[in-house]
Amino acid sequence: MAILLNQYYLQIAVFVMVNAILGVSIYLTLSTGQLSLGNAGFMSIGAYTCAILTVKAGLPVYLAIPLGGVAASFISIIIGFPALRLTGIYLAIATLGFGEVVRVIVLNLKITNGALGISGIPTLGTKIGKILSSFGMSKFGGFSAQQVSTLLVLVILLLVLAFLIFFCIRLNRSRVGRAFAAIKADESAAEAMGINTTYYKLLAFALGALIAGIAGGLSAHLTFFIGPKDFAYHRTVEILLYAVLGGSDLVIGPIVGALILTLLPEVLRSASNYRLMIYGALLVTMMAFRPQGLISEETVRYWKGKLGRGSKQ
Amino acid sequence: MFWQQLVNGLTLGSTYSLVALGYTLIMGVLNIINMAHGEIFMIGAFVGLYLVTYLKVNIFVAMAGAMLASALLGCLMEMLALRPLRRRAVSHLAPLISTIGVSIFLESLALNLFGPQSQAFPTELATVQFELGPIRITLVQIIILGISFGLMFILRFWLAKTRVGKAIRTTAENIETANLLGINTNRIIFLTVALASGLGGVAGVLVGLSFNAVEPTMGLSMGLKGLAVLILGGMGNITGAMLGGLILGIAEVFTVAYGASSYRDAVAFGMIILILFIRPQGLFGKRQGGRF
Repeated sequence: MAILLNQYYLQIAVFVMVNAILGVSIYLTLSTGQLSLGNAGFMSIGAYTCAILTVKAGLPVYLAIPLGGVAASFISIIIGFPALRLTGIYLAIATLGFGEVVRVIVLNLKITNGALGISGIPTLGTKIGKILSSFGMSKFGGFSAQQVSTLLVLVILLLVLAFLIFFCIRLNRSRVGRAFAAIKADESAAEAMGINTTYYKLLAFALGALIAGIAGGLSAHLTFFIGPKDFAYHRTVEILLYAVLGGSDLVIGPIVGALILTLLPEVLRSASNYRLMIYGALLVTMMAFRPQGLISEETVRYWKGKLGRGSKQ
Repeated sequence: MFWQQLVNGLTLGSTYSLVALGYTLIMGVLNIINMAHGEIFMIGAFVGLYLVTYLKVNIFVAMAGAMLASALLGCLMEMLALRPLRRRAVSHLAPLISTIGVSIFLESLALNLFGPQSQAFPTELATVQFELGPIRITLVQIIILGISFGLMFILRFWLAKTRVGKAIRTTAENIETANLLGINTNRIIFLTVALASGLGGVAGVLVGLSFNAVEPTMGLSMGLKGLAVLILGGMGNITGAMLGGLILGIAEVFTVAYGASSYRDAVAFGMIILILFIRPQGLFGKRQGGRF
């Protein structure tokens, strides 16, 4: 058990969680059929807001992370109004451009420390470690304090993710979720049915940005350093790939995508130079052979039917 | 100062126009955005650079070589990444995502093949200068202006007057009808992609000459600017792409000259967001999405 819980595995598990949260963020915008390529930009707004609030203003972490998300979502509403009048390809480009603008601004502002980035961000692990040691607990069974605090971080992230999944599943069964699905299926038809498409598209966009911002804030407080390079175009492509590989019909799709694509580079360390090449080839192959992603509604129905029959026999 | 900046802006802008023309051609015929165009441009620049550096060929031969190599690359992309998607009905986002895949594949390939550092052309050309009244123009700038404007006008004429040009325009108008009229649309699509990529390759050499730097990441930034021009000029609009490129080039040069030099890369997208606010169909586009 203690071997399984070594720092390396725990760290990877933590990254899986953050990436899965990012997967949920792109799932939410895709659930209205909108492709937003600005998730890395929103993540960067969240991460920087959060890091500046904790490092420079001394705000506690549990306040700063949601505030980062709110900031990202606020900005998404401002740019969403003009951008969401656009459909499909236009929106993708506008949001891609938005991500670039954010990167250039972050690179030039004084408060974000330009290309050097912000370092010395208090990590969640050390914070929890301090709280634990203030209770006088430095060892638990065979585990060191560091292991326990990382484990607790993992539990917190797991709770956040579980809440998001729960939220998405509930959302799908609500009026809002049905409106999202209607817009995805056919926007003009949805509008003719009396759905305020602009409102719902903006809502999905802002929700996606909120979650991306929170993920950004979390990642800032996990790695202790953020720089403008962390949120460039490649990050966007990576997030997109979670949804493309896993599938974007169901919320579990991008999460599975994030899991696979975070673990794969660790397993294939020796091929790390070719990671992006593999990603690129993967995008092309998925689009050609399985555009709906690994997990679609049919897949779930198929396995449910198969397993259901299996248990009856 | 003003006139000098204007010339610099025009030179930069004409390369943007050339890149944007590639996007526009593919957009017009296939109705997709080729996100890998920037990377094809970058590969073209590298091919040109290696031809000049190692085979010691003339710069114009290098441009022709770059054009050929990029056109081949474009055809390869058409076959592997785009054609399979046309055979079945997929979401309109699928080709976009597929070409994003091609783009990061090519960028990473270039990083592995050529290394991350920026490489320069042998510099005899950049030092030759002419004085014309208040402005100073380098030989490189003259080559860039000549080649890009020349190519643009040849393209315009070719599309308007020749048989193949008409076939391309017909396919752009409506692919099914073009098929019914006996045009081999698959071949036309192939040709368009090759043409667009070839133009991108030439632009790559020109940009590599003007900045005297060729690096794997140049594709991404140039690709994004080409996209900006595409939106600025209106999708699938050739005149729009030409003028839009010039406008963007001049706007960028003036931003650098009169103040905010570090925000240069934000100009393009600041403009996009503004345009999308005011005139989503682009400066020169019609509401219904004008073609050629």
